[in-house]
Amino acid sequence: MNPNISPAIILHHTDYGEADRIVTFLTPEHGRLKGFARAARKSRKRFGASLEPCAEVQLHWTARGSGNLVSLRDAELVDLHSGLRRDLETLTLAGYGCELADVLFDESGVGVEVFHLLQAFLNHLDTQGYSVEARLLLEIRMLSVAGYLPHLQHCADCSGPLPKGAVSFSAALDGSLCPDCDAGRATLKIDRMTLGTFGKIMQTPLTSFADFKLSPLSRKEGQLLLSDALRCYLHRPLRSLEFLNRFSPDETS
Amino acid sequence: MLNSIPSFARLVAELAKFPGIGNKTATRLAFFLLRQPKVQAEALAEAILDLQRNTRFCSVCFHITEQDPCSLCCDTRRDETLICVVEEPQALMAIERSRSFKGHYHVLHGALSPLDGVGPEDLKITPLIKRLEQGGVQELLIATNFTVEGDATALYLAKLVQPLGIRVTRLAYGIPMGSELEYVDEATVNRAVEGRRDI
Repeated sequence: MNPNISPAIILHHTDYGEADRIVTFLTPEHGRLKGFARAARKSRKRFGASLEPCAEVQLHWTARGSGNLVSLRDAELVDLHSGLRRDLETLTLAGYGCELADVLFDESGVGVEVFHLLQAFLNHLDTQGYSVEARLLLEIRMLSVAGYLPHLQHCADCSGPLPKGAVSFSAALDGSLCPDCDAGRATLKIDRMTLGTFGKIMQTPLTSFADFKLSPLSRKEGQLLLSDALRCYLHRPLRSLEFLNRFSPDETS
Repeated sequence: MLNSIPSFARLVAELAKFPGIGNKTATRLAFFLLRQPKVQAEALAEAILDLQRNTRFCSVCFHITEQDPCSLCCDTRRDETLICVVEEPQALMAIERSRSFKGHYHVLHGALSPLDGVGPEDLKITPLIKRLEQGGVQELLIATNFTVEGDATALYLAKLVQPLGIRVTRLAYGIPMGSELEYVDEATVNRAVEGRRDI
């Protein structure tokens, strides 16, 4: 059986039995996969720190005859992203990014874009540390790649223009709504400037994270609208989100 | 096959619940026990029951003990100004085996894990903070594992404890004694180079 060799980002691992590990990882070619690493906790030579969440590695694996798990043979560490461990906020945000990729994507394609997006996000956090902007950029881009980006700059119902000032927004109703289409259904009010800002963000390269500075209003409203969208499309609540909300500065109040 | 011998099947099922023990090993162990004299089987059963009956967690440091507070907490020769925080009792035992630490301990019984939903309330962190607030401690040595979870726990504790005016330290990273650099993983070498010191 020919081994596959591929760049990968480790999303999560679970200890199994006495010394084994089940690892969830993201590859550019095959999307999100799960693998079984036999004796991974004992053999420091074969895997070392390579199976730590957020690590970027060169992974060797063979497909199994049956079942969903591939068999992990070896891992060479490319970048542990040690800088993520500088503070709790950065480490938690990095973990959140990995869990978001884990929950939003599977084996079915979109691997290349998600891989490069997550790689750029982790590299940015590694050197620059936590920022609300990095979180919001990741969230809106992940939603976009997954095909869940809500309508921002025109009415989701009639495609008509939006009024100046506060605009009705509801992810469950596909995004922004003009006053005629809203009819009191939307739960959020978002300033049109904020919607314009996030519309512009979507025109920037997927892997660009540096030099974004949002106003306090855009940060606050951006967090509200993206949280609403993620709540709507995620099939389970994210465990890391509770940590992130607890340990990172609150922008929504 | 085993269903025809219910007592044997029951023992195999119980042994297979142990970490790292599958059905095959459990069956082998059950056959081994079957061939032992009755007194040996009774001694094993009694030892397991004794463990359950007599051991508990120390109310001060949460290490396993038969007396409360444990012998480590009661030892007056130990440095009361220094507390070492570990994830599990096994880590405490590893440090004790090294005979390098003469302070007191605190066992958290786990580590923070954002991806597994293990939060501060799931660990023995509140009793640790109460202990520190009583005064007298000058240094907290964090000896959690060098994993994402261990690092998250260390960062969280540092954030909580530093405002109390207590020095917070972490175990050093490095190359294991007796190992050859050629066979050490890149991350360890990286940290060892970062943490180099004068000789």
